[in-house]
Amino acid sequence: MYRLALNMLFGDRAKLAMLLCGLAFSALLMAQQSSVFFGIMSWTYTPMVNIRAQVWVSDPMVEQVNDAKPLRDTDLSRVRSVDGVAWAAPLHTSFVQARMQDGNFKLITLVGIDADTFAGAPALLTQGRIEDLRLPDTVIVDEWGASLMGRMGVGPDGKPRSTPLKVGDTFEINDIQARIVGICKVKRAFTGGPFVYTTYDRAKGYTLGARRTLSFMLVEPQKGVTPTELCGRIERETGLKAWTSDTVIWNWGERSLARNTFWWFWTNTGIPFSFGTAVLLGLFVGIAISGQTFYSFVLENLKYFAAIKAMGAGMGVIARMLFVQAFTAGLIGFGLGAGMAQAIGRAMIEKGMPPFVMFPQILWATFALVLGISFVSAVIGIIKVSRVDAASVFRG
Amino acid sequence: MSHQAHTVAVRATGVDMFFGTPDNQVVALKQADFEARRGELIMLVGPSGCGKTTLLSVIAGTLTPQAGTVEVFGQRLDGLSQEELTSFRRKNLGFVFQSFNLIPTLSVIENVMVPLLIQGRPYDEAHDRAAAIIEKVGLKGREEGRPNALSGGQQQRVAIARALVHEPPLLICDEPTSALDKDTGAHIMELVRDLSRSPERCVVVVTHDHRIFRFADRIAEMEDGRISRVVDDPKLLDTTHL
Ligand SMILES: Nc1ncnc2c1ncn2[C@@H]1O[C@H](COP(=O)(O)OP(=O)(O)O)[C@@H](O)[C@H]1O
Ligand SMILES: [Mg+2]
Repeated sequence: MYRLALNMLFGDRAKLAMLLCGLAFSALLMAQQSSVFFGIMSWTYTPMVNIRAQVWVSDPMVEQVNDAKPLRDTDLSRVRSVDGVAWAAPLHTSFVQARMQDGNFKLITLVGIDADTFAGAPALLTQGRIEDLRLPDTVIVDEWGASLMGRMGVGPDGKPRSTPLKVGDTFEINDIQARIVGICKVKRAFTGGPFVYTTYDRAKGYTLGARRTLSFMLVEPQKGVTPTELCGRIERETGLKAWTSDTVIWNWGERSLARNTFWWFWTNTGIPFSFGTAVLLGLFVGIAISGQTFYSFVLENLKYFAAIKAMGAGMGVIARMLFVQAFTAGLIGFGLGAGMAQAIGRAMIEKGMPPFVMFPQILWATFALVLGISFVSAVIGIIKVSRVDAASVFRG
Repeated sequence: MSHQAHTVAVRATGVDMFFGTPDNQVVALKQADFEARRGELIMLVGPSGCGKTTLLSVIAGTLTPQAGTVEVFGQRLDGLSQEELTSFRRKNLGFVFQSFNLIPTLSVIENVMVPLLIQGRPYDEAHDRAAAIIEKVGLKGREEGRPNALSGGQQQRVAIARALVHEPPLLICDEPTSALDKDTGAHIMELVRDLSRSPERCVVVVTHDHRIFRFADRIAEMEDGRISRVVDDPKLLDTTHL
């Protein structure tokens, strides 16, 4: 009978297409919405993706990566003396105003990195060399920032147009000149504007010698020492807070700064809520669509199931037939939807907009939801068939 | 056991069947008595609404009457659970429904295979037996087509093939020839009658179609929810209302 159940399902191509479209669309909606949601949330820990380090050290009160509570310069030597530390480099981050040549002000994220190790330097420079930062008054700007900070002018078509900053252009930070010697490619962040990289010492100058400029320390463990192990030692010996970053790949570990940043945004801002509402809406619409298409499929076949029942098929057989149909359609629908979500996701990742992070968990959750919907629809169908009066098949 | 018990295939005694609520009640069967013998093709005739379909449903165990007893091949239906009734139908009954009730998304042969598959027969065996019966009802070559591609008469023949394929002891037909022309109807009735020619078998046919009365061994006339008369010869029928 299961073969017949499948043939019943595949027998009507048009209805099957409708059913699969509904299921695939809702799977797509659920997977894609959650992926964009987690993509946006992944922007919260962008600095850690851009500033790669195995271990971050911060003030004990720091909860997340965008919340820098400055350390003392002496803390650096204390950390360096902890057993298992290969090196420790200072890192400065702050939001400051930059004054463009046309007089405009732009809020930038200033990143000061150690000039000896270049720890925290961007991974990819499209123009210039990182060593050029050792020249006076130099900065490296990220590509997206370069266009944000670009000069407004009039294009050949008479429309206003912004020309991205390029190597050799200058602007000012607190009246101190900044000359661009390189353009880098970094991941976009949730907070903060353009990323402007310079040396740690020069960053002190740009921030007018603010009393404390050491936001984080980036620490490299010695060979054979795991980041988690080292974090424990640093915390015990210095009283500071140490984090593993495990940034690029999402990590559920309690010692992950990425995770904590994510959760900080989750609990402290309305941003996840508003995006989360959109995700929930997607889920809701998805469930409604696939449930509805399935239900109408069951209704259409109700009288045939009644006939099968009259001919002597027990409810057990009919229930299994409905499950076979529901799960088959659910599987195919999920496959199509997840495939489309992957394809769309790949295109999005290439463009970088909107952000897109499809954790395997998202796919599993979508899979479970689609199968759950199939299951519920099948159960509703079974209840319907069990209630239908077998004698009704004698009526015209 | 009396001699009679061995010749009786179906016996319904004092059957009452009401529909609706107590203050808006439709009486479909009232103290109906009915008997069909083994090896017999018996027809049920009577005006529309007199309770023919209801009586068939009661005999088939798809309706449980409010009063009376039904016995099919020695098996009492009253007191059986829904599951037992289902199993009873699976083993003993073939149906030809008034509306054919063919599954449109399945091919002709798959429709015919359904009763065998319900009985748990292997797919290949069911396929072969279905092909043989489809040939018998004159639809060879249409096995893989869809029922909806067939004429009404052809669809009825598929329905009859489905009812016969598992050679059920009791075949129940509600207006089996209403959509068929004279020759096809006669051909189908020959098939049905041949099936009845065994002491393990019995066929009950509800019909309006006087052209097929000649295939009946006996004809039971119904009126107002009960059998009013049983005749051996169609010529004795009061055909004014048919
Ligand atoms: N499920 C039902 N609900 C209410 N009334 C019914 C139902 N089935 C049959 N009836 C009524 O019972 C009577 C007998 O119906 P039926 O057995 O279908 O007659 P026939 O087949 O002889 O035309 C009719 O009055 C019909 O309206
Ligand atoms: Mg009727």
